[in-house]
Amino acid sequence: MSENFDNKNHENQSDPNYWRSFEELYKDENTLKSKLDEFKDGVTDDFEIDKNLSGLSRRKFLALLGASAALAGAGCSDYRDKGEIIPYNKKSEEIIIGKANYYASTCLSCENACGILIKTREGRPIKVDGNPDHPVSKGKTCAKGQASILDLYDPSRLQTPMLKRGGSFSTSDWKTTDQEILKVLNSDPSKEIAIVTHSIISPTTQKLFDDFKIKYPETQIYSYELFDNFIKNSAWQKCYNQQNFPLIKWNEAEVILSLEGDFLGIEGNKVEQVRLYSEKRDIMKGSNFNRLYVVEGNLTLTGMNADYRLRLKPDAQYDFVMGLLNEIILNKKVSQISLDNNSVSILSTFTLDTISKKYGLSKDVLNSLVSDLIKNKGKSIVYAGRSLSEKVQIAVNLLNETLGNTTLYNNNEALINSNLTDYIGFEKLTANINAGKVKAVIHFDTNPVYHLPAEFKYWDAISKSTVITFATSINETTALSNFVLPINHNFESWGDVKVRTSFYSLVQPVISPLYNTRQKEAVLLTWLSGDSKNFSETIYVDYLKNNWKSTIYPALNSLFDFERYWAGILHDGVAKINEKQQISYNFSQVALTQLDNQSESKAGYTVTLQESYTIGDGRFSNNGWLQELAHPVTKVTWDNYAAISESTAKKLSLKTNDLIEVTYNSNKLKLPILIQPGVADEMIAVDLGYGRTNSPVVANEVGFNANILLSKNSSLSRWILTGASISKVNGTYEIVSTQDHHTFDDTLIQDIHLKRNIIQEGTLSQYNKNPNFIHEKKHDAVNMYKDFEYKGVKWAMSIDLNKCLGCGDCVVACNVENNIPVVGKDQVALGREMNWLRIDRYYSGTPENPKVSIQPMLCQHCDHAPCENVCPVVATTHSDDGLNQMVYNRCVGTRYCSNNCPYKVRRYNFFNFRDHFRGGYQEQASFELVMNPEVTVRSRGVMEKCTFCIQRIMEARQEATKKNTTIKGTDVSTACQEACGTEAIVFGDMNDVESKLSKYRNHQLGYVVLEEINVKPNVTYLAKLRNTFSEEV
Amino acid sequence: MNIDYSQELPVVEGRLTLREINDLIARPMDERPNKKYFIALSFTLSLLFIGAISVALTLYYGIGMWGNNQPVGWAFDIVNFVFWVGIGHAGTLISAILFLLRQKWRTGIARFAEAMTIFAVMCAAIFPILHTGRMWVAVVYLLPYPNQHSLWVNFSSPLIWDVFAVSTYFAVSLVFWYVGLIPDFATLRDTTASKIKKVIYSIFSLGWRHSHRNWQHYEKSYMLLAGFATPLVLSVHTIVSFDFAVSILPGWHTTIFPPYFVAGAIFSGFAMVVTVLIFVRKIFDLENIITINHLEKMNKVILATGMMVGYAYAMEFFIAWYSGNPIEQFVFINRAFGPYAWAYWIMVSCNVIFPQFFWIKKIRRSIPIMLMIVIFVNIGMWFERFVITVTSLHRDFLPSSWGYYTPTLVDFGVLIGSFGLFFTLVLLFTKTLPVVSISEVKAVAEGAQPSHNGGDH
Repeated sequence: MSENFDNKNHENQSDPNYWRSFEELYKDENTLKSKLDEFKDGVTDDFEIDKNLSGLSRRKFLALLGASAALAGAGCSDYRDKGEIIPYNKKSEEIIIGKANYYASTCLSCENACGILIKTREGRPIKVDGNPDHPVSKGKTCAKGQASILDLYDPSRLQTPMLKRGGSFSTSDWKTTDQEILKVLNSDPSKEIAIVTHSIISPTTQKLFDDFKIKYPETQIYSYELFDNFIKNSAWQKCYNQQNFPLIKWNEAEVILSLEGDFLGIEGNKVEQVRLYSEKRDIMKGSNFNRLYVVEGNLTLTGMNADYRLRLKPDAQYDFVMGLLNEIILNKKVSQISLDNNSVSILSTFTLDTISKKYGLSKDVLNSLVSDLIKNKGKSIVYAGRSLSEKVQIAVNLLNETLGNTTLYNNNEALINSNLTDYIGFEKLTANINAGKVKAVIHFDTNPVYHLPAEFKYWDAISKSTVITFATSINETTALSNFVLPINHNFESWGDVKVRTSFYSLVQPVISPLYNTRQKEAVLLTWLSGDSKNFSETIYVDYLKNNWKSTIYPALNSLFDFERYWAGILHDGVAKINEKQQISYNFSQVALTQLDNQSESKAGYTVTLQESYTIGDGRFSNNGWLQELAHPVTKVTWDNYAAISESTAKKLSLKTNDLIEVTYNSNKLKLPILIQPGVADEMIAVDLGYGRTNSPVVANEVGFNANILLSKNSSLSRWILTGASISKVNGTYEIVSTQDHHTFDDTLIQDIHLKRNIIQEGTLSQYNKNPNFIHEKKHDAVNMYKDFEYKGVKWAMSIDLNKCLGCGDCVVACNVENNIPVVGKDQVALGREMNWLRIDRYYSGTPENPKVSIQPMLCQHCDHAPCENVCPVVATTHSDDGLNQMVYNRCVGTRYCSNNCPYKVRRYNFFNFRDHFRGGYQEQASFELVMNPEVTVRSRGVMEKCTFCIQRIMEARQEATKKNTTIKGTDVSTACQEACGTEAIVFGDMNDVESKLSKYRNHQLGYVVLEEINVKPNVTYLAKLRNTFSEEV
Repeated sequence: MNIDYSQELPVVEGRLTLREINDLIARPMDERPNKKYFIALSFTLSLLFIGAISVALTLYYGIGMWGNNQPVGWAFDIVNFVFWVGIGHAGTLISAILFLLRQKWRTGIARFAEAMTIFAVMCAAIFPILHTGRMWVAVVYLLPYPNQHSLWVNFSSPLIWDVFAVSTYFAVSLVFWYVGLIPDFATLRDTTASKIKKVIYSIFSLGWRHSHRNWQHYEKSYMLLAGFATPLVLSVHTIVSFDFAVSILPGWHTTIFPPYFVAGAIFSGFAMVVTVLIFVRKIFDLENIITINHLEKMNKVILATGMMVGYAYAMEFFIAWYSGNPIEQFVFINRAFGPYAWAYWIMVSCNVIFPQFFWIKKIRRSIPIMLMIVIFVNIGMWFERFVITVTSLHRDFLPSSWGYYTPTLVDFGVLIGSFGLFFTLVLLFTKTLPVVSISEVKAVAEGAQPSHNGGDH
């Protein structure tokens, strides 16, 4: 209806036929006017706040009413409760929201005490890496160090002091416990106070103990480790009259012979050793590789990386070394030192020939070993594992001396011997407690009930004394204690560490204690002060600083005053001191009297007890990330087992998962077996650290407690038990691994990784002859479409398989960085582990002498990614910097991408694993704190995979934008790359031809896995070269 | 028996009058269901209930309730989907293709087969939704709906083709089925004594008056719809096979898949139709309308398609060898001799060996033996999909990620539940709608279509 709003026109209108009222008919002025206004006066008034609100129009009023109701409804509703968000009242000087802070500290996960750099976000630590300024760790740390962050937030940590009253524990407070403990300490001074601790690596803790001894002279300190260098040190002392054990210049060794020594895996400071070792495996620096010989019983990480490996029962090592000495000294007439007749006659009873015949050692390998050792006099090293007996250690020292290898001992630095208590000492302690001569036993964060040999009946003994146990979470010892005192985590503590001459390392807290815990040293200080009231949060740091100020600082002649000096070393995490005296080592012939012509081997089975690669001596058993980290060799998770050779298993008619009973000195242990290639016959190898009986929920019922085989009477060493017996018992127990075990004799699948060119490898001589040898066969792949042109940065990764040792440190680093959940044994059994990065391990050769190939496998970020075109909802796409991306919110979880992924690197959330594992253990509040806030926590039903740490790329890009530059390949390093101790992983921009990455990518040894399917991966591998004599692999 | 093959066999036996045909087919709808019916229904409902619990568990806890793992991302979920879609194919083939080919013998079985198509597609349609990890978003994200994020589905993904193929198939089958039902609804409307039924039949018969005009339009639209449905018989399972064939996985990435899948679908569909019809013709006294000749003809189709499937099995091996691709070769050797060899040999014996008995006429016409063979074929075809899906996935490119899939109780529960749903729907169908097309059977009854050259067979 067109209506003319002009009054006048209206009057002129000539349609009088339509009228609605008489007023209209007679053209009443008001009516006509009101007809023009659609709404009445007062109905459409504008809302003017200055005016009286009562003049508000009805319409406006209703509109406002509606709007305010809607606002109140929507705005104030509890839509996704975000919890309390409180802005800083006073902004902290250091914290910028969204920006990480890094603090140097020291990892106390083991006695190696590496320097670490802790990344914190908004005041909470979220990631641990090595401290680049630290002279030993140099920016690297191991899996345990990486994962220790989980222990900080472990919801099952002890949160308040506990007292045992009438057989059951009740929570208490520090005041009560302090008072009651002081009463005990101050009672009868004729009775001993026993402090049981691990290695004392902190000078200030040592001073604290000394002060404690001054106040309580009846105090005795006992220290132990489940695995220590006791035998090595004592042999060293006998040979060289030196307390401190020298460090080895691994990076200068041309030939390394390791006897039962897992120096790349678990022995010594692994972080440093792998770095030095791999310096001689760097193809970019030329093909001057070292050659690694390993003679060992169980297949260890070091053994699987060996160029030549001989399998030999550990109790035959003495015969072997003596045979080697005989061959080198008597037959080949190589000698730096002259031996007395007695030693010569002993040596002559051992010949390499008889040993190689007896144990089936390859003649060729032995010949090349002998000639290599002689040829590389002074440039080789023979390393005896810490578990070998003193006799072997002395023989090995002699061998090194003979070959002039002492030049490879570092004369400037030495490991400090932490003077542990031996079993005799602990036996005395137990006797004293049993005799009622000990009024208090203080377990200084130790778990001797679990760690000490069963014969001591330590658990029985301590019931006769007052037991005070410092612990982070419950353990076998806390259960038998009268007082259980919760202590700060490493990251909540202060401290200093000295494990080597020439520098100190500092520990500083990066978060205030999460619970009502105290640092163990602070508690001792409080007791020293005699009154619970004297505790303050700074009690220990004051003591620490005072100690530094009075003892260490004055000797340094620092130019700065103490406070500035202290701030400086805290910042660096390291304090270097001038302690570079030349240490000289003079071999003492007297030690040779220890050698005899008695072979160590005994009839029956040999059992070797080994430290777990993941959970250490058991102290990490409640750490899900470490429990789920696959064993580097067997790929087993969540369990220990008896590794046994195929032929021995056949002899006992055993299959993997069958249960056996091991008997040694009347100690019996039932555990399942795993048929493991490369294990010597007539022996089993068992990891310790499992089978915790009183522990928080993660570790309970995981594995078998092989500590009960430990015996003070074991003849060779604590960890090598000879003359054990094994019998099959009924029943099976399922051990699970992340990789299927395939039989060796199935011709269909034998060496399939080589046939498919998944693993490409050769020998060094092959490479020297023809550097391009792996690319002799070319694939001519045809593209159907024109490839996308990547301008600017294109991310790529290269992994040097010559340097990769397969330890799995990168896997844990990835877990921590990318919020990867723990799924538990049942899910690993089904093949549902969530690790974005896995280490594939392949065997070839025979079950007796397997060749092991290692390959880290992660999303290959293919240019022609097969996952992308099959996703129905475009949840996985490609970015223009070459990344294959996952859009979690869009993913509906069809799993088609994973089916179509030739590398099977995609991981699917079959459950909400955080909820599924151990009844929602990972959903507890404190676990929220461990999450990296830059990485989405994935929900159930969503696919996920490696992102090349896109959060780090984005951060670097933001930085570049801020600086008005463009991002460069070198600006980003991935979590796995950062963690890799050997720098095997290189990441960067492949479009930058000058970059390190491009050099790796275009190297002649570089190859992509499954090249023939033409998916064009952006991850390349450098083929492994074995440094063997012949060209054959 | 001496049969003169120059003459067509009577499609309807027993010289039934038109009235008798009416009554015979409409009888189940007029009688109250008996005790046996309720026993059968409670059995199928129990199966359905087991399925419902299994689905509820899956929805509540996640796909982890199933045995699926890395690397076997698809297992029972997709196996069941392909199996049920395959079952559906017989119906469309019988009603559409045989209609166009003027195969008069189809009339006795077409209705039932079509109904089974619809029920089977309903069973199948559960799985693509259920197998996604986040069904609640999958039902939305899998459709190309307009949205402000400019998010669109991925038209290069075969799973999206699936969504369209299956929904088109379901829609066309439903319409085709319904159009065929209209004259029967009218017949029922005219004969029923119940007022309520009369109202319902009236509504669904859309005012059908059996007039010439009605018939003319009906015949035309029926033929057009048959023309529509015919390519679907081929296209749907072709597209389902693309779910596998488009991937790069050895054992899936095969060009033979479309014809192989279509043949397999018809094979399994006919087997299922025979299985059900054996019971239906007995229970509802339809032996004269669904005659032994019908069953024999279907057995011949089973024999023919079974041979095609067998040919495909052989050809896959040949091509694997001929391609010279070692990974492809490995997959097939592993199928026959690897950890899943048991499944492979169940498949081969059920699908290739047992149907060979149908060469023998006596067996083709023997109800008990026939029943045994078609049940074997049903099992075999389910295993075919299992073999394709699981054995290809469980050992693919990298030996490091090889695994083994073991189904869980929930897996079986969902499978059982899908059978429960199918047979519940079949049972309800037999009591609510004419299981045989009244009008079409009348049209082929003796003397219905007199012709100058005798016509009295």
